[in-house]
Amino acid sequence: MRVAVHYLPIVLIVIVWEAVSRFGIVPTRSLPSLTSVVNAWIELVASGEMLANAAASIWRGGAGLAIAILVGASLGIAMAWWRPLRMLVNPMVEALYPLPKSALIPVTALWLGFGDASKILLIFLACMLPVTLGAFNGARGCEHVMVWSARALGAGRLRVLWDVVVPSALPELLNGIRTALALSFILLVSSELIASRNGLGYLIGSLGEAGVYDAMFAAVLTVAFLGFISDRVFQRFSQWVLRWRA
Amino acid sequence: MIEVEGLSHTYRTPDGRAVSALDNISLTVAEREFVALLGPSGCGKSTLLYLLGGFLPIERGVIRFNSTPITGPGPDRGIVFQHFALFPWKTVRGNVLYGLEKMGLPRADREARAREFIEMVGLSAFADSYPSQLSGGMKQRAAIARTLAVDPGTLLMDEPFGALDAQTRTQMQTELLRIWRRSPKAVVFVTHDVQEAVYLAERIIVMSARPGRIKAIVDAKFDREDPQLVRTQAFRDRVDEVWALVHDNTAEAR
Amino acid sequence: MARLSVLPFLALLIVWEAVARSGLFTAFVLPSASTVLLRIWADGATGELFIHLGVTLYRALVGFLIAAALGILLGLIITRVALVRWFFEPIISIGFPMPKIVFLPIVTLWLGFDDTLKITMVVVDAAFPVVTATIAGVAGVEKELTWSARSLGANERQMVREVLFPAALPQIMTGLQVALPVALIVCVVAEMLTGGKGLGGAMLGASRVADSPGIFAGIVEIAVAGYVLVQGMSAIRSKVLAWHPEALPPATV
Repeated sequence: MRVAVHYLPIVLIVIVWEAVSRFGIVPTRSLPSLTSVVNAWIELVASGEMLANAAASIWRGGAGLAIAILVGASLGIAMAWWRPLRMLVNPMVEALYPLPKSALIPVTALWLGFGDASKILLIFLACMLPVTLGAFNGARGCEHVMVWSARALGAGRLRVLWDVVVPSALPELLNGIRTALALSFILLVSSELIASRNGLGYLIGSLGEAGVYDAMFAAVLTVAFLGFISDRVFQRFSQWVLRWRA
Repeated sequence: MIEVEGLSHTYRTPDGRAVSALDNISLTVAEREFVALLGPSGCGKSTLLYLLGGFLPIERGVIRFNSTPITGPGPDRGIVFQHFALFPWKTVRGNVLYGLEKMGLPRADREARAREFIEMVGLSAFADSYPSQLSGGMKQRAAIARTLAVDPGTLLMDEPFGALDAQTRTQMQTELLRIWRRSPKAVVFVTHDVQEAVYLAERIIVMSARPGRIKAIVDAKFDREDPQLVRTQAFRDRVDEVWALVHDNTAEAR
Repeated sequence: MARLSVLPFLALLIVWEAVARSGLFTAFVLPSASTVLLRIWADGATGELFIHLGVTLYRALVGFLIAAALGILLGLIITRVALVRWFFEPIISIGFPMPKIVFLPIVTLWLGFDDTLKITMVVVDAAFPVVTATIAGVAGVEKELTWSARSLGANERQMVREVLFPAALPQIMTGLQVALPVALIVCVVAEMLTGGKGLGGAMLGASRVADSPGIFAGIVEIAVAGYVLVQGMSAIRSKVLAWHPEALPPATV
């Protein structure tokens, strides 16, 4: 009941959408009716187009993000742990962090073309920064007292790194990964819309050019939903990982 | 004059249980009277103060202020909180001016009055400092100046010196009495410190916990101008007497 | 702490120049920093640079300002009016994590390709962090502060304007600091998707003709613009929050 009341506004918007296009208040060219969008979605799935393109997108996004997390987290923690590295890398991270990451789209296309590799590189490069910064800030915030007491208890340097520094860096690291996740969707979709031959972004672009607007709406809503659901799943995962926190 | 009749209040814990905070409280505070609400934590003394202030809705009973039932907060009842509640984005002067602006005084009057009250609490040198630049005692002085500047008929104080160190605390108590003598008004002063209650208040309302009830009302009329007051036998006896009452309460609350 | 530090950029340029000259990559894959800087200089001389930069900044900043105003206003109203809160809460919680750029092809159907489209996309994307920061900021205001204001005679309107807004300002500023880079990212992507004037459009043009110095020039220009805006924003923060403990020395000796 409470959930129903909570999500009622969304239902209202959907009803207004259907009514507005059904009664011809706006042309279906600008706003296809919900029912036609649902039908188009079913067709896209049945023809296999949706799944093939989604698989391509998820592979690119997943691979890019996975490399970004691995490299970024290691680099961030290493920066906090080892001073010379911090002095070398920190200025560059500082200078590049405010870079609007979308500027990298044409370069990666220039380097690696229109295929998977350019998208994976793009997402890796762009998503690495927030992950690195999150890991760095988290690991640096690790209290010296904890490190000292762990060492006093006889833990070696590497043991301390794994048992004390990494867990205390986790909250900020996970936060950085969440930012990276959102960024990966933005960049994946835009790069596929701009320069690609498959993927959900390409699907949206080609359907739009062909004027099949109900199918284009279906694909757009699918991507929006995937972005929403992956953030929710990641948040649940973060809560589970951080369940030791009060 | 404040009259409280048959006041009860329950609040809900986060897991939904109803806890009786106040049970059938009746009391009166005369004009220009300094009253302390004393009791262990959980006896509802702060809840009673917030109800007097009009910040919480009255569930059962009635609170009359000069014969009119209160319905909400108003400038006739000034409040001072334990953690100061100064506007951190305003200077000391800005904080004191805030209530004066709401009174609709002409600008020159506001400025003069703010200056007067800032001087009264001894903060003239810090009038243009922000709260975060001040020590705890100075913050509380500023909060008292802000509240007194609008000249409320009643002053409600919620453990105002509870966050201060012992030395500042004693100093602030003396200061408060000095200010109160200069412009006497009804004061309701919440505290859990027996010595503080006996030192400041003419009448001490001792409360018991769960549910909050009035356990005893103790008179404490002393010559407060006497600097040796706290060393007199009469004062110490009164402290012991009240302490026994509160201690008994605390044992009961367990 | 708004210090326009040149050192990190200098370090980056030196590393870039060294890698480019080392012969590891061809000049097409990685043109040297000096080539790219000369290119930017040339674009500046013809005035081309300033047109593209101006157009992009105009769209991003106008969108950002609208998003800031709308976001703060909506956030404040949401915390005070139950009906508005009921309506917007699910929309915000679903809309915030969505990649809103994906709606660009749809919004194009409605608004065409001109400035309105790009500014609208910027507004939609940048408003979310501002709204959520405002709501969180107001939720964090101590009740004693609002009680003090009420007791000093503030009415509901004055309470929102004179107490809740300034008290929530540190978090609102943080929201704005998140929203500003978002505005630039979205603006550049929207320009790449629709072409035409602006840094994004110019980069798209350069990549169509495989003009690699042109692409790198675009990256440098956008990076510098982003850096200056982000630093400017943090300067505004310390100015606006001059009263905040993070900015103040203690007055006591």
